[in-house]
Amino acid sequence: MRALSDGARGRVGKLLESSSARLSIGGVLVLLSLPFLLGDFWSYQLALYYLYAIAALGVGLCWGRTGFLPLGQALYFGLGAYLSGWALLSNSENPWWLLLWLPLAVLVPGVLALVIGLLVFRRRGESGPYFSMITLALSLLAYQLANNWESVTGGFNGLKGIPGLPGLDGYTESYYVAAIALIAAVAVLAWLRQAPVGVLWSALANNERRAMLFGFDTNGLKASAYAVSGLIAGLGGVLYAPQQGLVTPQLCGFVLSADLVIWTAVGGRAALLGPAIGALLIGSLTSELRMRFEWWEMLIALIFIAVVLLFPQGIAGLFAPLRRRFARNQQPVVEETAPPRPLRRALGGLIIQNVRSAVGNVVILDQLSLTFDRPGIFCVIGPNGAGKTSTFNMITGELPAQFGQALFNGERLSRLLPHQVIRLGIGRKFQIPSVFAELSIADNLAIALWSGRVSRIDLLKPRLRHWTSAVLQSLRERYPFLLDDQRQAAQLSHGERQLLELSMALLSEPQLLLLDEPCAGLSPAETAAVTAVIRWASERQRATIVVIEHDMALVKELAETVYVLHNGALLAQGTVAQVQADPAVRAVYVGAQK
Amino acid sequence: MDALLIPQILNALYGISTLALVALGLAVILGLLGVLNLAYGEMVMVGAYCAYVVQAQGWPYLTAVPLAVGVCAVLGFAVERWLVRPLYARPFDTLVVTWGLSLLIRKTVEAIFGTGFKSLTEPVSGTMQVLGATYPRYRLLLIAISVAVLIALIVWYGRSRTGTRIRAMVGNPDLARALGVPVNRYAAVTFVVGTCLAGLGGVMIAPLLPVQPFMGLDYILQSFFVLVVGGLGSVAGLLAGALVVGGVNSVVSAIWDNSAGYVTVLTVAILFLWLRPRGLYARAQ
Repeated sequence: MRALSDGARGRVGKLLESSSARLSIGGVLVLLSLPFLLGDFWSYQLALYYLYAIAALGVGLCWGRTGFLPLGQALYFGLGAYLSGWALLSNSENPWWLLLWLPLAVLVPGVLALVIGLLVFRRRGESGPYFSMITLALSLLAYQLANNWESVTGGFNGLKGIPGLPGLDGYTESYYVAAIALIAAVAVLAWLRQAPVGVLWSALANNERRAMLFGFDTNGLKASAYAVSGLIAGLGGVLYAPQQGLVTPQLCGFVLSADLVIWTAVGGRAALLGPAIGALLIGSLTSELRMRFEWWEMLIALIFIAVVLLFPQGIAGLFAPLRRRFARNQQPVVEETAPPRPLRRALGGLIIQNVRSAVGNVVILDQLSLTFDRPGIFCVIGPNGAGKTSTFNMITGELPAQFGQALFNGERLSRLLPHQVIRLGIGRKFQIPSVFAELSIADNLAIALWSGRVSRIDLLKPRLRHWTSAVLQSLRERYPFLLDDQRQAAQLSHGERQLLELSMALLSEPQLLLLDEPCAGLSPAETAAVTAVIRWASERQRATIVVIEHDMALVKELAETVYVLHNGALLAQGTVAQVQADPAVRAVYVGAQK
Repeated sequence: MDALLIPQILNALYGISTLALVALGLAVILGLLGVLNLAYGEMVMVGAYCAYVVQAQGWPYLTAVPLAVGVCAVLGFAVERWLVRPLYARPFDTLVVTWGLSLLIRKTVEAIFGTGFKSLTEPVSGTMQVLGATYPRYRLLLIAISVAVLIALIVWYGRSRTGTRIRAMVGNPDLARALGVPVNRYAAVTFVVGTCLAGLGGVMIAPLLPVQPFMGLDYILQSFFVLVVGGLGSVAGLLAGALVVGGVNSVVSAIWDNSAGYVTVLTVAILFLWLRPRGLYARAQ
């Protein structure tokens, strides 16, 4: 499908060499020749399920790709259908107006989904069951409105006698309209999936917090995926009205919403074509067999349960070995050097002043004041529960402070959302290695390179996936496993994952880098490699690096200045020797020092 | 008090108490096990169909109670054992799988009983005088039973050994397991208690509603909304949720019509889900 979006003539020959392009062109030709093979009745039937398949593709995008499940997707299909029904009924005299109204009818569901997505995700953050239930309730609400608002929607009987699209109202023509819409929807989604935004969508399903702390507006990204799904569901609905000639409240309601989810799951939610396969196969079989076999729909429900429980890849998963074979002959990519991260070279560093932070009755940070105002390596130590990781959480905006403030280059951090804090020039590595497990090493590294360097529009430029930088080159020399581009991060060992995440943190080239126990669980050799790279980064990037560490040997080796935290407050600061001599530090650490 | 207002108040009271009873089962499963059982409404529906079978066979109505509780217990046990237990670590998948289960139950009931409405007659007929107003006896009985079951379950949970162990399991499953509490068994017990409450609720409301395969959808949503509005983890929350959802429904339905009541409940629930997802009486976290 990628072939279709690149229309440039000179490239066609080259594209034909790639087998996936040949496969998609073959698929398109089969789709376009079906009416000659099947005849009017079946093409009419199929055309309807093409439209449902379009809507199912959107459910797949949200659920399989981005990791949240919309249970009320029929809302957008129905809305598109009603809008296009009205447009066609009221413009039968002057059909030229339809060129304006029908695109608008596609756009409105998309905009509605965007607004709902932004409102819900911004407010709620999470995208689990509550999001699903909100979408379900919205679709039921839409059904009730469509059912009761008779003057506008025609009530229970719906809008009747909707004329076909002018000049395209025969069986074969309406088949081609639906088939081309399906091809277009698949092409757009295929293109989005391989663009940076598509990579980020699957990063969200993998590890949303990690994506957020690379400076990406995760809630906005989720809302954008939801908007795209609403838009294409709207497209399906807009074409439904002229094709079927009738729009009823059921199109907004529960049953279609449920069917869309079933088709998506059974067809394979994670694959591009899975939901469409599910809709065409299960949907059209059901319409044939529902009446003949009472138990048919029970069987479908059973299959659905089995798929969710045992075989989340669905039918598309059966083709996975095939796809891998085709994926092998990839053309070599041309790498492109990433631009430097646009940072304000304002000075001031990080200043934490009298921060107090409590959750319920538990005081986590208590009158904490710390200053990291020059390049270099600083270590933060302290017994368990001293507030070390909490300090990082407070800096990156995840732990609210009730009193005091944290300033970074003069900017108050408490006013900002976590991803905005990161974009000021802060990088962070978590204590437990935290990478995008389902993504390849190349995609993990690319996401880190995008951190702080890209705008929203940039996320639509596929060439960004081939970015490289001087830091990346040196890291690849140090850690050769990073060269294994297509390997999944999930297949890496614990140590490799630590190194991958550290590399990712360095790639974003932050002014302030927060490292939470970067050597936890590493062998002595790996630990030496990590300390070397931290020193190298500190000298090369002139960054301020703050390391939380328990291992005093490591602290001695790394730190220029050490801060000791205890019970959420600063206990002592100075060189390693100074804090080790400090009686207060000794008192806290008696029996606890490693 | 005038004779017109009293029946309205009793209607609201009846709506609220039966709603609290039905939501209680879902609250047990969601609040204690963290599982959002989307097939819960279908278990209410199964209870209602048990009542229909009993009445169609001409058996005494009370036999519907052991039948529905038995069927739902078996169903709940099987679901917990084979669908929910493998997925405790994947809460999102339990949602989807129980949703698939709800479709399966609905389609099975459709295949056995057809899609049409079944209406039942009230096992206790006649009316009573309450504060000068006449009101159906059966509804008064339901209010009394709902309150009794609520109190009994709360006392059992707070006082009995099993209740204590379940609380230990909820508080810290690993520690409870280490102390010898058979956590798997108590999770199963909890789940089954929840589904039995659904069956009991179904039997109780069946005579007052058209019994049909889609009725479960209303109950899962209404019960879920009760928990969303009230907040999980306290009896006060459950009652507050039932009061708001049931009250809004009764009042708006009385003033306009049933679908206006339904639309208002949906709107209130969406607002709560969106703006105050931990409800009025959320447990401090």
